[in-house]
Amino acid sequence: MSDSDTIRSAFLSELNKITSLSDLENVKIRYLGRKGEINTFLSKLKNIQPNERKKVGLKVNELKKEIKKRLEERKVSLLLRQEKELKIDVTLPGFKYPRGGLHPVTIAIEEVAKIFEKIGFIHLSYPEVEWEYYAFESLNMPDGHPARDDFETFFIDSKPHPKLGQMLLTPHTSSGQNREMKRLKKPPIRMINIARCYRPNWDVTHVPMFYQFEGLCVDERINLTHLKGTLDYFVKEFFGAKREARVRPFHFQFTEPSFEVDVSCGACFGKGTVSGEKCRVCKSGWLELGGAGMVHPFVLKEGDIDPKKYSGFAFGWGVERVFMMKEDFKLDDLRTMYSGDVRFLEQF
Amino acid sequence: MNIKITYNWLLEYLDTDVSPYDLQKYLSLCGPSVESLEKVEDDYIFDIEVTSNRVDMASVFGIAQEAQAILPRFGRKAKLKQNPPSDLRFENLNIKDGARQLKIQIRNSKLCLRFTALTLSNVTVGKSPDLVSKRLKLCGVKSINNVIDISNYLMIALGQPTHIFDYDKIKDHAMILRESKKGEEITTLDGTKITLPGADIVIEDGSGRLIDLCGIMGGLNSAVTNKTKNIVLFVQTYDKQKIRKTAMTTGQRTLAATYFEKGLDEERVEPTLVYGVELLKKHANAVISSPLYDIYPVPYKEKTVSISMSEVNRIIGVKIVKNEVVKILNSLGFLHKERRSKTQLAFTVPSWRKDDISMKEDLVEEIARIYGYHNLPNVLPPMAYARRWKEQDESIAMQQKIKYLLKHLGLCEVVNYSMISKDDIVGLSLSEKNHLKLSNSISEDLLYMRTTLVPSFIKNIKENQGKKESLRFFEIAKVYYPKVDSLPTEVYKLGIATNTSFSDLKGILEVLLSELNIKNSEIRQGNVPFLLPHVQAKAVSNGDNLGFFGQLTSKIQEKHGLKKPVFLAELEFQSLVDNYKVVAPYETISPYAVIKLDLTAKIENYEEFRKSAFAKSKFLKQIEVVDVFGNKVTVRLYFTSPKRNLTEKEAQEELSKIKERIKG
Repeated sequence: MSDSDTIRSAFLSELNKITSLSDLENVKIRYLGRKGEINTFLSKLKNIQPNERKKVGLKVNELKKEIKKRLEERKVSLLLRQEKELKIDVTLPGFKYPRGGLHPVTIAIEEVAKIFEKIGFIHLSYPEVEWEYYAFESLNMPDGHPARDDFETFFIDSKPHPKLGQMLLTPHTSSGQNREMKRLKKPPIRMINIARCYRPNWDVTHVPMFYQFEGLCVDERINLTHLKGTLDYFVKEFFGAKREARVRPFHFQFTEPSFEVDVSCGACFGKGTVSGEKCRVCKSGWLELGGAGMVHPFVLKEGDIDPKKYSGFAFGWGVERVFMMKEDFKLDDLRTMYSGDVRFLEQF
Repeated sequence: MNIKITYNWLLEYLDTDVSPYDLQKYLSLCGPSVESLEKVEDDYIFDIEVTSNRVDMASVFGIAQEAQAILPRFGRKAKLKQNPPSDLRFENLNIKDGARQLKIQIRNSKLCLRFTALTLSNVTVGKSPDLVSKRLKLCGVKSINNVIDISNYLMIALGQPTHIFDYDKIKDHAMILRESKKGEEITTLDGTKITLPGADIVIEDGSGRLIDLCGIMGGLNSAVTNKTKNIVLFVQTYDKQKIRKTAMTTGQRTLAATYFEKGLDEERVEPTLVYGVELLKKHANAVISSPLYDIYPVPYKEKTVSISMSEVNRIIGVKIVKNEVVKILNSLGFLHKERRSKTQLAFTVPSWRKDDISMKEDLVEEIARIYGYHNLPNVLPPMAYARRWKEQDESIAMQQKIKYLLKHLGLCEVVNYSMISKDDIVGLSLSEKNHLKLSNSISEDLLYMRTTLVPSFIKNIKENQGKKESLRFFEIAKVYYPKVDSLPTEVYKLGIATNTSFSDLKGILEVLLSELNIKNSEIRQGNVPFLLPHVQAKAVSNGDNLGFFGQLTSKIQEKHGLKKPVFLAELEFQSLVDNYKVVAPYETISPYAVIKLDLTAKIENYEEFRKSAFAKSKFLKQIEVVDVFGNKVTVRLYFTSPKRNLTEKEAQEELSKIKERIKG
C-alpha cells in the first residue's frame, strides 16, 4: 500500500466529518499546509528509488489537486447551507439617521434661480432697507400717487435723505431695478433679484414679511415676444412641460405695456373642465401668477439708460405663491410658513 | 376697482352675438379682467376688475366700448347700438329759462373742472320701476327710491357719479363751491358726522351750512326724502387728488369717491346729465324748471400722440402692417391724423383716455393688446453676458452649501421675521438705540430690525416645546446695523439653536468648519452677555471672528419658561465665505506606520493641552478625544514620521514628553 493512498483515504474520512468552515480550515491546514501531510510526504520522496520517484511524485500531485478541489466543493456547499439559515426581518427599520429640513422658501428660491441662471440671468439680492426713491420714484410712482397704495409700506423712524426720501422696508423687489441698472451702467442686463419684502398686513392670507423674485432683462431690441418666451420657459421648467403661460392686460406704473401673467391649471390644462365637470383647482382654466411688463421708458431713464436705444422687460412674483401653486398645497393660514413650527419645517 | 354689470344691460349698448362666457374670455385676454361670471335668473352678472388708469371702462357703456374693439378680433359681431357721448346732447333737452334758479359761485376753478346742475320740479318720490331696482340689485346696489336709484343707475351705466339735492332745502338756493376750513363739520347722507381735515372740496348754501362733501357724499341736510318736490341734478368732475385725500383722511371710501379720485372725463358729464333728465322725466314725472348751469372753463382740447411703424415693431417684436395699426387704434377712438411725415403716424387721443395715453409706448400697448398677446410667438431673449457680482455669487453658493449640510445633520431650517419686539432687545441686555425702529409698525412684535438672530431662536424653542423632544434649528438671514445718515449695513448671519447639549452644538460647528476646509480655527474665551460666562466661546480663524457659541443664561431660560437649557451659535457668514477653501491643502499619503497610543488624564483645557502636545512632540500627527468621564479625558495620539517607521519605544517616549507637560 502506497502512502499516498493512505493519505487519500484518511483525508476522505475527515472530509466527511467536516461540519463548519473552521473544521474545513483545520483539515486544509493538516493536508495542504506548509507542514501538512502532502508536504511531509513530498519531503520523503528523496528516499524513494529514483525510477519510482517520478511515478510516486505524479501521483501525489494528483492527490494534492484532488484535495484542493474537494475542499473547495465542500466549502461551497457549507456556504450555501449557511446562507439558507441566514435570515433577517427585512421589514424592520434600519439605523435612524437624522433628516432635518429646508424651509420651503429655500427650496423654491433655489429652483427659481437655477431656471433663470440657465438663460443667463444673474441671481442676486438687493437691500431690504431702502430709500423711498428706489422703491417708488425711480419706478414712476411720485409722492402721492395712488399706485403707491398697492404697495403699502413699513417706514423706518429716521431722518429722511434730502434727495432719496424716507428710509423704508422694500415692499417689492422692483426696487432692485434701478440699482441693477446703475451697477452695470449699461446693458445687457439679466437680473433675477430674490429678496425678503415687507408690507404691513398680518392675517390668514398675508404675512408682514415674504419673498419675491424680480426678473429684469434690458438690451437692444428686447421686445414683447421675449417677455412671453421667458414667461413660458419659466412656467414649463418650473411647473412642467405641459403647462403654458398667458398674459393679460393690466396696469403698473413702472411697465408699459403691463400684464398679469397666468399659468394654465395643472388639473385641467386651461380647459376649465375635467371630464365634463367644472375644474376644482382653478376658476376658468388659469391660475394667476403675478405681474410683468415692458420696462417703462421713465424707469430706464432713471437708471441712466437710453430708452431710444434699449428696451427691456421685468416681472416680479411671490416665492411662496409659486411654490404653493407648484406643489399644490394650500395653507389654511399663510402665517404657518413663518411660524417656525417644527412639525411644519421637518416636512420639507 | 371692481365693478359689476349685467349682460342684458350691456346689450342695451352693444349689438353682439357673443355668449356671456366667451365675452368673459375675450375681455380678459385683451381688456379688463372679468373675475367672475354668475347666472342669475335670466341675466348674468360680470364682476370686472378695472385698473386705476382705465376708469373710463368702469361702466356698462365703458365695457361696451371696449367690447366693440375686442370682439371683432375674435370674429364676433360687435357694434354700439347707441353712443351716449354723441347721442345725448344738451340741445336734446330743449331747456328754456325756468323759475327755480340757483346762485352758483365757484371760488377756485381748479377744484371743479366741470360743474353742471339743473333743477327739476314736480317730482314724485316713490318706488323704482322693477327694471331699475332689479339691475341695481344685481350690480350690488341697494334700491332706495326712484330718484336716488336713478342717480346710482347713471353711475353704473355711464361711469359718472351724480348727486341729487332737495332744491327747497338749499338756503337761498345758493351753492358756493370752495375748500373747507379745518375743523368744519358736515353730516353726510349716511348720518355720519365728519370733522373735516381742511382743504376738502365742499358746497355751502346761503346760510353758511355745508350741504355737500363733494365727490364723497351729499349732506343729510339737503337730502331727497319722500316729501321732496323739487330737486337739483348735479353732475361734476373734481380735482382727483383732493377727492382722494379727503376720502383717505375721513375714511369715507364711497363708490363715488373711487370714481372721482381716478379722474373722470369732463365730456361725459353732458350725456350723464341728459340721460339723468330722461330717466327722471320717465320714472319720477320730473319737469325741467331752471336754466342749464354748465361751468366748464377749460374744455377738452384734443391732444395728439405720434408713433412710427418701426417703433411699433421694435417693441412688439412682430410685423404689424400700418392699416392694421390704424384700424385697431380707430376702434378704440384714436383717430389717425393724416400728416405729411412718412415715418410718424399721428393719432388724436379721445377725451376719456386723456390721462392714460401720453407717449408712444401707451399706443403700443393698445395696439398689442387688441392684436392679441396670445397671437405673439414665444421667443427667449438672446444670450448675453451681464457682468456678474462675485461677492453675491460666493455668498449665495455658500448659503446653499451650508443649508444642505445642516439639513443632512438633522437640523431644521427656520425663516423668522426680521423684526423683533422691544422686550426681545431688552431681554438680551442689548440697546434699543442700536436698532432700526419702524415708524408705522402694526404690532409690538414687529417694532425693531434685529441685529442678532438669537431672540427669534428663543421664540422658536419656546413655541416648539412639547411638540418634539429634541429641537435643532438653523437660520441664515440678514441683520441690520444702523448707520448715521445712511442705509444700514445688512450682513448675513448663520445661527444655530438646539436644546440638546453643548457638545451637539460644538460638533455641528466642527463638522461645518471641516466641510468648509477651515482648518486652523481657534477657540477663545467668549464674552456675550446673554450666554453663561463659562459655557461660551468664540471662534477665530486667520484673525477673522467666526462667531460665538454657548449656553443661554439661566435667567433668560427661566424668564421664557424654557424647560431645557438652550445652546446657541451665531456665526459671521462673511467670515465663513472668506476663510472657505474649495479643497483642503493636499497631504501626501505616508508609507510609514502610524502608532496609536491612548492617554487618560485630567485635562482642564483641551485646547491648551492640544497646542502643547503638538509643540512637544514633532512626531505627533493627530489627536482624537475618545472619551470624557468627569474631568478625565481619554485621548488617542497618532505618532508617525514622514521619513521612516517609528518603533513602539520611540512612540512611548514621545508620549512621556506629552505627559510631563500635563504634570508641569
